[in-house]
Amino acid sequence: MAIEKDPWNIIITGVGGQGNVLASQILGQMLVQKGYVITIGETYGASQRGGSVMSHLRVSQRDQFSPLIPEGKCDLVVGLEPVEALRVLAQYGNPGVQMLINTRPIFPIDVIAGNTRYPELSVVLKKIQTLSRRVWTLNATEIGLELGDPIFSNIVMIGALSAIDLLPLGREDFQDTIQEYLPFHKVHLNMEAFDRGREAVQEFLL
Amino acid sequence: MENKGLQALESCVIQKDLCTFCGACLSLCPYLHSWKGKWLKLDDCDLAEGRCFAYCPRTRVNLETLHQEVFGQSYSNIEMGLFKQVKMVRASSPTLRQKAQTAGVVSALMKFALKEGFINGAVLTQRTPDHLPIGRVIRRPNEILSCAGSSYVAGPTLQALNQGPWKDSERIGVVGTPCQVLAMRKMSLSPLKRTTPIDRVTLIIGLFCTWALTYEPFMKFLKNRVKGARIRKLDITPPPERLLKVITENDRIWDVPLDEIRPFIRTTCGVCHDMTSELSDLSVGTVEGIQGWSTVIIRTDLGEKILSQAEAARIVKSQPLPEEKFKHLSEASLLKKQRALLRLKERGELENGYLTLSRELIGRILSEANEAGS
Amino acid sequence: MGNEAIARGAIEAGVQVCAAYPGNPSSEIIGSLSQVARELGIYVEWSVNEKVALEVATAASFAGLRGLTAMKQNGLNVASDFLFNLNLSGSKGGLVVVVCDDPSALSSTNEEDSRLFAKMCDLPLLEPSTVQEAQKMTRWAFDLSEELGLPCLIRSVTRLSHARGNAELGPITKNQQNPRFDTSRPIIPQPVMETHKALHNKMKTCQDRFEQSPFNVYRGPEKPELLVVTCGPGWMYVREALLNLGAENRTGILKLATTWPLPASFLMEHLKKADRILFVEEVDPFLENNVKELCAQRAGELGVKTFLGKASSHLPNVGEINPDIVTRAIQQILDEPYEPRSLQYAREAAEAVSLLAPSRELGFCAGCPHRATYWSVKNALAMDGRDGIVLGDIGCYTLGVRPAGFSQVKTCHAMGSGVGLANGFGHLERFGLNQPVLTVCGDSTFYHAAIPALVNARYNQSNFLMLILDNSATAMTGFQPHAGTGRTAMGADASVVDIEALCKALGARVQVKNPFDVQDTTETIYKLLQDREGIKVLILKQECALVRVKRQKALYKVRVDQERCVGQECGCNRRCTRIFKCPGLAWDPVTGKAQIDEAICTGCGTCADICPQSAILKETV
Repeated sequence: MAIEKDPWNIIITGVGGQGNVLASQILGQMLVQKGYVITIGETYGASQRGGSVMSHLRVSQRDQFSPLIPEGKCDLVVGLEPVEALRVLAQYGNPGVQMLINTRPIFPIDVIAGNTRYPELSVVLKKIQTLSRRVWTLNATEIGLELGDPIFSNIVMIGALSAIDLLPLGREDFQDTIQEYLPFHKVHLNMEAFDRGREAVQEFLL
Repeated sequence: MENKGLQALESCVIQKDLCTFCGACLSLCPYLHSWKGKWLKLDDCDLAEGRCFAYCPRTRVNLETLHQEVFGQSYSNIEMGLFKQVKMVRASSPTLRQKAQTAGVVSALMKFALKEGFINGAVLTQRTPDHLPIGRVIRRPNEILSCAGSSYVAGPTLQALNQGPWKDSERIGVVGTPCQVLAMRKMSLSPLKRTTPIDRVTLIIGLFCTWALTYEPFMKFLKNRVKGARIRKLDITPPPERLLKVITENDRIWDVPLDEIRPFIRTTCGVCHDMTSELSDLSVGTVEGIQGWSTVIIRTDLGEKILSQAEAARIVKSQPLPEEKFKHLSEASLLKKQRALLRLKERGELENGYLTLSRELIGRILSEANEAGS
Repeated sequence: MGNEAIARGAIEAGVQVCAAYPGNPSSEIIGSLSQVARELGIYVEWSVNEKVALEVATAASFAGLRGLTAMKQNGLNVASDFLFNLNLSGSKGGLVVVVCDDPSALSSTNEEDSRLFAKMCDLPLLEPSTVQEAQKMTRWAFDLSEELGLPCLIRSVTRLSHARGNAELGPITKNQQNPRFDTSRPIIPQPVMETHKALHNKMKTCQDRFEQSPFNVYRGPEKPELLVVTCGPGWMYVREALLNLGAENRTGILKLATTWPLPASFLMEHLKKADRILFVEEVDPFLENNVKELCAQRAGELGVKTFLGKASSHLPNVGEINPDIVTRAIQQILDEPYEPRSLQYAREAAEAVSLLAPSRELGFCAGCPHRATYWSVKNALAMDGRDGIVLGDIGCYTLGVRPAGFSQVKTCHAMGSGVGLANGFGHLERFGLNQPVLTVCGDSTFYHAAIPALVNARYNQSNFLMLILDNSATAMTGFQPHAGTGRTAMGADASVVDIEALCKALGARVQVKNPFDVQDTTETIYKLLQDREGIKVLILKQECALVRVKRQKALYKVRVDQERCVGQECGCNRRCTRIFKCPGLAWDPVTGKAQIDEAICTGCGTCADICPQSAILKETV
């Protein structure tokens, strides 16, 4: 499957502790197996203590690119958190960007403390819709909780990504890759998370 | 919208050095406490309106409203507030007279009120071994004496009223200074949701007060002055002597001229208009020049009832107060009012300060005090 | 990952001894080596600090083996005294020192350009630009180091260390070298005049090598309008900028991978190509200034050039660079029109974010013992009332400067500086300082740098309270083992260096408390603040929440009694969510009550003790 343009740029964004980095690694590895040249840039460190985390993935058939995506050049946002999905559009969004969003909010400390409000989810999604080409959503965290740990949400998102068919990411590709990252007895649960993600994702239409 | 919560309390009272340390704002919430004789804030509160501000005797005092609330009449008697009668009283028991302050009247009356069931609990002020005054809830009549005696140091008595813990039906009596009495009347007036059982406070005995000291600097000075000896008792002798007598262990007596302790008088006492606790049921203080007797101002029906019943039960003995003493008391009280107004004027707080008085009353106080003084 | 590539390069070069102290963005280098150490039969260590780590690696080199150390920019500061002697004494076996800078201080207390050390020490400096290069250049660096008899510096930055890219693996050299230190030839920097001269000669040889290096590359037309001289990941940004601007045929890119000493001839050859020269690098104008020096020296040959870069304000003087900064600079210089997206979109998106997206203030994790510690510090200082000074240090607990830690901490500089400053403040009472002095120090920080300062404090009788926040982890950098955790980098059990025993042996008065017991901790801190007789150490011992959760899950099951919760009313005003601010607590504006967020709460139970209504209930699990 040829990508729409070269490089094709993905941003995985979320809050520290959501498994953002692992998701980008798995995704990157899956695409490398498919013969792509992948460059990933990550921003973490102190940002893990409740701050926003971003991974930039450059997918190319020819070359390595800058680990940071240039302004306005993102093609797909995988938002592990709704407000973070919106946030990256300020610098990297454009009318053609596509969005895959986990709808479960993670409240910043200031919202929990009552110093600021967290916006209504529907308002955020509608706004994102006006700033993008297509939007898909699912509550990946809830699925993760059902499977026993909210951290599964990042695998659920990869499953969802596989379902919306923007990249060649099939179930077998995931299974091959995940086996390299996890002990054998954990693979089964991750496969279930992947499958649940594939089922649950839906296009968000106004 | 103007803040009427902790933020305003801090900017209008605490930072302006007007806190009387009455305790009305303490233990209502986790943020305000007393610690080692100081007002202590643990965290900020951003509520637009709060009880701490509403109850404070140094925020928004409208004497007219308060007098209507307590007496059902206008605030007009500028000398000593409204009253029915003024008497000279002392406790009948010589023990009580010896152990308690002056004539033992307050102790006797509170003990009586508890015994007879007028009240089920009393909020009094006790001193720790380190002379720190704190509020205590006393339910047993024979424990009253543990709170006897004057401290001259401001203590957050009302914190104990807020804290309790109280049982649902208990009637409460409180002995307080004029600012504490004022705070309690504000509590009654405030529409804010209560946790303090102010509606069950059925008896308020107010003490005469001219000033109070700030604990920490005063004690530091005193300990130094008595060269570290352990302090047992403090007593301010009446005029003309006017000494602070400090009795330390080994019964040694130290004489400290009052001028030396004036620096430790709380700033806020300078703007206090109330010498005789004008809002209480009964007000109790010394009789100038006569040892062993107290002046008692009877202000409400309840106060009158308690005093007469106590007398009938031979707990206390009363006499008419000599006219001359009454006159002196009146003058002294009015003088304190005048000083307060003048100090408020100095601070630029006569118009927009905590005390709301009509121009007419302000004028009367200032001129009549002058007349009386001359 | 870039760091993994460096580790791989070292393995391919046959490294046998690797040592480091964790520091973002360098930690994964020794981190990944520690995972394969047993398999490869090499020695990998998490050292107590970067100076010791460098010395450990150097010992290998002195014995003829190959050694590697890695650190963040601050680590090089700590190791520098040794480095400034090592350059003169020289080394034997290949020795590579990797320093990973953190431009923009994304996870550092400061920003620094470590490359200047190379010029100061006069040591070879390599700057890889891609993940593949990081691997290959590290491999080469060992050979270069061995040939020159000098340690070789490799400089990386966040955008390389934490970037991932395709890389081809090379063959692994199994180094069968037997170590031996030739005692007939002492390795010392003296006599300095001679060794310093010798160093210069070595660097001349190095320069010759650099002139031939295949890692220095020119790409572009023969006569470009603009020559961009760049190094590090800046190269990727420049390439992408030219792609987006469509300016490839107008611009030449000279990528330097060997940036000290400068390959002068190679540079001169390419500098002649254009009249305008733009330098793209981060953080300081290192390359820019050094090349300008060279040009001034050889001005006769070059003629007049227009130098652009940081001095001309085309690039910022602080912080990291990115493709957009570089694009804008080149766009300006070439006067090339470029709009990455419609301005209107950009405005709409920015507006939407500022209106709708609340910012994420950094905070402690749910169940973090530091939150409980700072809560007690806050209360104790309020009770004390003398405006106590809290001196901070480096670790997760650095967040004590922010609202997350109730803004208690007032200074934070280098490792161990908290107790260092406390030493000084603790002597100012004689001049009239009435403020009590308190310092906070983590367990890993303690081993790294605090011990000498503590010895000094005890000996010189400084008066302060030291809180050692012992969460049994080097948490901020990723839970690398340290002298208090009981395991080594290679997974072996190790007998813990007991902090309490150490402090007692120093002669300090020591107490140990559980910070989750906020009442007791507050009272203890308050009491200790009243004491004026020298140093007091209070060890607040409680496992890091992230460590505890992996093993045990919750200590308590916590819930909020919805009836008793007073919420926003006078009498509480959301003390748990507004002030305590644990992310495990959520405020429900609809019900007006606090809730426990089960997905986040780790069951430490501390919030139950701060609720004025006792509405938060904890049950032992």
